[in-house]
Amino acid sequence: MKNNKIDRHKDDINKEACVHEPAQHRAEHSHRLFTHHHSHGEGSSIDYQAYHSKIRGWNPTFKFLFTCIALILCIGLDNPYVSVTTIVAMGFVSIVLGGVSFHDYLSTMMLPITFILLGTLMIGIDFSLTPKGEYNFHFGFFYIITSKSRLLHMGAIILKVFGAISTMITLTLSTPATEIVGVLRKLKVPKLIIELMNMIYRYIFVMMDTYRQMKESAESRLGFVDYKTSLHTFAGIASNIFVVTLKRSGDYYNALESRCYEGELLFLEEEKPIKAVQAGFAVLYVVVVLALWWAT
Amino acid sequence: MKYLKYNKKLIAFMAFVVTMAITPVAGAMHIMEGYLPLSHSVAWFVVCIPFLVMGYRSIKGKVDENRRNISMIAIAGAFVFVLSSLKIPSVTGSCSHMTGTGLGAILFGPAAMSILGIIVLIFQAILLAHGGLTTLGANTFSMGIAGPFVAYAVYKALSKSNKKVAVFLAAFIGDLFTYIVTSLQLAIAHPASSGGFATSAVKFLGIFAPTQVPLAIIEGILTVLIFVALETYAEAEMKSLGFASGGMK
Repeated sequence: MKNNKIDRHKDDINKEACVHEPAQHRAEHSHRLFTHHHSHGEGSSIDYQAYHSKIRGWNPTFKFLFTCIALILCIGLDNPYVSVTTIVAMGFVSIVLGGVSFHDYLSTMMLPITFILLGTLMIGIDFSLTPKGEYNFHFGFFYIITSKSRLLHMGAIILKVFGAISTMITLTLSTPATEIVGVLRKLKVPKLIIELMNMIYRYIFVMMDTYRQMKESAESRLGFVDYKTSLHTFAGIASNIFVVTLKRSGDYYNALESRCYEGELLFLEEEKPIKAVQAGFAVLYVVVVLALWWAT
Repeated sequence: MKYLKYNKKLIAFMAFVVTMAITPVAGAMHIMEGYLPLSHSVAWFVVCIPFLVMGYRSIKGKVDENRRNISMIAIAGAFVFVLSSLKIPSVTGSCSHMTGTGLGAILFGPAAMSILGIIVLIFQAILLAHGGLTTLGANTFSMGIAGPFVAYAVYKALSKSNKKVAVFLAAFIGDLFTYIVTSLQLAIAHPASSGGFATSAVKFLGIFAPTQVPLAIIEGILTVLIFVALETYAEAEMKSLGFASGGMK
């Protein structure tokens, strides 16, 4: 039992440790701190996957817009055949073209599984005092009722949600956050928001790194020995990472200013032309989906 | 006899549901990608716009006043993200997270929280696959606007009497309100076939209550602890942070 607990803690540390790498070291290929880990629950490796994707070279604006179109089609057409096509096509893009392992892809898809199960269960069933449904399950004084059409409807929603999720994670597993922010900049999102996003993204890694160190040292001093202590330790660490980062806020700004920062962070953006094959794939996808919707 | 056997299956099924229910999982209350019809996605975005404009003005004012403030505002945003992605201590070993929005509203003011909220939600979708792009408007409304505004109102109303109680209730009620708004958003999108919106709302509120109510209590306790620590160790910084229309003074 005790061992079990310790193991679990170790696991947490591992999990947290590989969440993020400090932003200062963020270069194209320096992900050594980022020991890859098969996450179960926190999706921490999405950023890692994005930097290592084989389709990272695709034009990010193209990927972003294609994702939006695919999302609108999947949700707007609301058709089980379209949903299944989306799941298959996006799986193909991520796994075969992008090089994400099947296991990683699936575990990213399954992150919101609790929400989906609870949420759709509520759509599929009804409560009643009398057995008036097509299928009735008796529970003491009330019945849970449902019908074939409700269950089919529930299935269709689950497929649609998974279609939408697979579309979204296909974008995020192949496009680093900085590139997505770059796309937003091109789409004329206000400069102040873009600046904030770029800075927040970097501070997240600074804070995560500080958190990891503090957590490890608290752990070694029995900071998580029981629940009450854990709460105190957690709150201590959480407030501390904030205070420590805040106190260095001026330094960060000085560092920026010494590099001639004047209210706009500009990053070197590689030119990534859209290839004819990619555009062809996108058009083919839209045509197939629309044809499927029309035919069913 | 047959009845008994049948019942056993049901009990197993219920046990499964209950176990799932008492296991609050990361971002359980973000509406996932694909859950809302397109019309709802757009509508919730539109609802958010006035608040976002207000937040933008508040942040812009602070940055125009002194350009260096942008660094601090960004740290505030990163803090809300980090707070919501840390696994909080839990008795059952499950994976639960704070929302951090109550604390954010108390520290930075509710107007600024709308902008910080939407940015944090975008990063949660990109980096953690919580929430989504089409559901961004709805999630921003519940987590970045409704929750923070209620939390802030509660805090302001009570902070004169007992600060700790005020902070606890602000975070607790802000959290609960976020969960109620999310349930209502789901209910509007998926009304029950018999009884419509109201029945559906009760169902969504009911199924998420076992995860969200305990979580709100823990969030309240942690927010008080963090707040006290911040007040003790960083009073000066805190004062300079009360940037939005109000915020901690």
